[in-house]
Amino acid sequence: MRWRLWLLMAPALALLLAIFAAPLLHYLWLSTQAQSVLTGLQPQPIRAQQWLRLWNDGRFWQDTWQTLRFSAASVSLEMLLGLAVALLLNQPLRGRGLLRTISLLPWALPTTVMALGWRWIFNDPYGPISRLLAGLELPAIPFLSNPALTWMATVGADTWKTTPFVALLLLAGLQTIPADLYEAAALEGATPWKTLRRITLPLLTPYLLIALLFRLAQALGVFDLIQVLTGGGPAGSTESLALYAYLNAMRFLDFGYSATLLLGSFAILLILCGAGALIWRWSLRWQGSLR
Amino acid sequence: MAQRWRLLLVTFSVAVLLTVGALARPQIEPVSVLMPAPFADATTELVSAFNRSHPRIALSVTRGPLETEAVSDLAISSLLLGESPYDLLLMDVSWTPKYAAAGWLEPLDRWLGPDALGDLAPGAELGNAFSGQLWRFPLVADMGLLYWRTDLMAAPPRTPAELVAISRRLQREGRVPWGYVWQGKQYEGLSCVVLEVLRGFGGHWLVKNQPQLDSPAAVAAASWLQDLVRQGITPEAVANMGEPEALQLFQAGDAAFMRNWPYAWAELNKPDSPLRGKVAFTTMVSEEGEPHAATQGSWGFSMLAGSQHKAAAVEVLRFLTSAEAQKQLNLRWGYTPTRLSVFEDPELRAANPVLTDLQQALAAAVLRPLSPVYAQLSDLLYRDVNTVITGDESAPTAMRALQSNSERLLRSSGGQG
Repeated sequence: MRWRLWLLMAPALALLLAIFAAPLLHYLWLSTQAQSVLTGLQPQPIRAQQWLRLWNDGRFWQDTWQTLRFSAASVSLEMLLGLAVALLLNQPLRGRGLLRTISLLPWALPTTVMALGWRWIFNDPYGPISRLLAGLELPAIPFLSNPALTWMATVGADTWKTTPFVALLLLAGLQTIPADLYEAAALEGATPWKTLRRITLPLLTPYLLIALLFRLAQALGVFDLIQVLTGGGPAGSTESLALYAYLNAMRFLDFGYSATLLLGSFAILLILCGAGALIWRWSLRWQGSLR
Repeated sequence: MAQRWRLLLVTFSVAVLLTVGALARPQIEPVSVLMPAPFADATTELVSAFNRSHPRIALSVTRGPLETEAVSDLAISSLLLGESPYDLLLMDVSWTPKYAAAGWLEPLDRWLGPDALGDLAPGAELGNAFSGQLWRFPLVADMGLLYWRTDLMAAPPRTPAELVAISRRLQREGRVPWGYVWQGKQYEGLSCVVLEVLRGFGGHWLVKNQPQLDSPAAVAAASWLQDLVRQGITPEAVANMGEPEALQLFQAGDAAFMRNWPYAWAELNKPDSPLRGKVAFTTMVSEEGEPHAATQGSWGFSMLAGSQHKAAAVEVLRFLTSAEAQKQLNLRWGYTPTRLSVFEDPELRAANPVLTDLQQALAAAVLRPLSPVYAQLSDLLYRDVNTVITGDESAPTAMRALQSNSERLLRSSGGQG
């Protein structure tokens, strides 16, 4: 009977292997080769040299830090705002359907289009923000030309675009919570804050986790927004790992190192996810022991 | 029975006739060219003229993306997949060494003959042949120009100090908010700007494959760019400015000078342009005795090594880069020619009075390093100089770091630079 089980699973397994395992293994092999424009694109084995290069590459570590900074800031903002929007859209308001549709619009726009839009909004001196500031006789804010500010501009644009996605997921979750729980809470005289903390959030946790997972995975691989909005500048301050890997592959034709970069960021992602899962488990155990 | 035999005979003879007919028909060779969108649009008429006059070749043009680097990404993706669907690529001059080193290009010497570059105007012949072979033929010339406002000054500045002095005077008098706008964003455009200033201060990017980026001249060039921003002659926003942003600011009348490519001339002189008739251009400023440099940015055709229709592709190349085609591209679309005979065409000179100025600027053309690792070299340069422009790093420190990073890159590339 066993073999039949495996036989039935085989197509799905083969698909998974072809889509995930094969490219990863190929990249692993590529990261031990010098395959670049200098080798005429022919692979030449160089053992662990690419990995050494990665370890000593300040730019890799700088981009790692910048990618993490971007992801942490934008995903936290999106989770908070997304929750707020979802709670709002879950209220029985007039014109709720219309409101829900409108609030989804930013997410429906292609990233490159919205990044071009933000590039214009941040334009100094002709963009709307600069004009407003000039109208108030305030100095212009160099959103896209000051390394201390530009990463925040990228976070702002990303938050604007993907908050609706989080809100949509959480709204679906909110609608699975039975109304009688809230009625009971109201009868018991629970404050709105208490209702949120004791009923809404615990029951929403699976949805919060899914939203967090999706958003983190996307944010850590951010490419198109950065490419269009800043090109990684100014002074390299917004370059992400994905952008650096892209540069190595498509501009520098250095495929060996590009594969190493991708695997390096994959490893960092794995470590982070592992740490996150551990912390999660510990916190559950800790909560359990309190009860 | 007899009927069936007859039917079979008819079928057979029809089949034979069809086969013979197909074989007898002249073989039509398809030739496919990838061009950036603006060039694909501009060559539409030329392409149909070619197809009319060459019944044995079916020329088709793939309209690539608008943005320069996006075209390269598309071409590279298709080349990496093995058999590229294109026979010819219209490429930026700075890509050629990389493509050639990757083994993607077919040398053109054999196809175009030893005197292929004979008719090219001075400056336009640069960057087509290297490592002893010809890799491209230029379709349009492109070079960095210094645009200046004829309504604000009688003559353009010729030295960096003059540019600063004129800017400050005009800004003090309240006639323009800014003096000089250029491309300072972290991208290829900044490398083009830096190369011009570097040469103007007497420096070089590479000499015999050795970077010269911490030389006093290179540091002076970077300091000059930084000072432009510090002194308020160039807006701080320059650190994220590409060509369109610089043009926007200049065209609005908010700056006295702009560094840009020839395409800006047509934009500035459109009927609804506020600066129509108030602009002229010249070459970049330079220190006494140093060259007024114009970074070469031309577009040209290269043939792919994997092309199955090389002879037909060469015919296409000859046709599209012919004097007649270049003349049409200039008259109708304003593209700068590369052939001397086109520059000297009396009809064209009458129709386009700035052609002489463009020819002079082209003669001042300087090349970005012809290296297979040019993309890395340039990435190091524009990233580093961008930190100088934002003021995050001092010019001497940044240029020292740039020098050692460039040296390391060229060393690890095994002197193949």
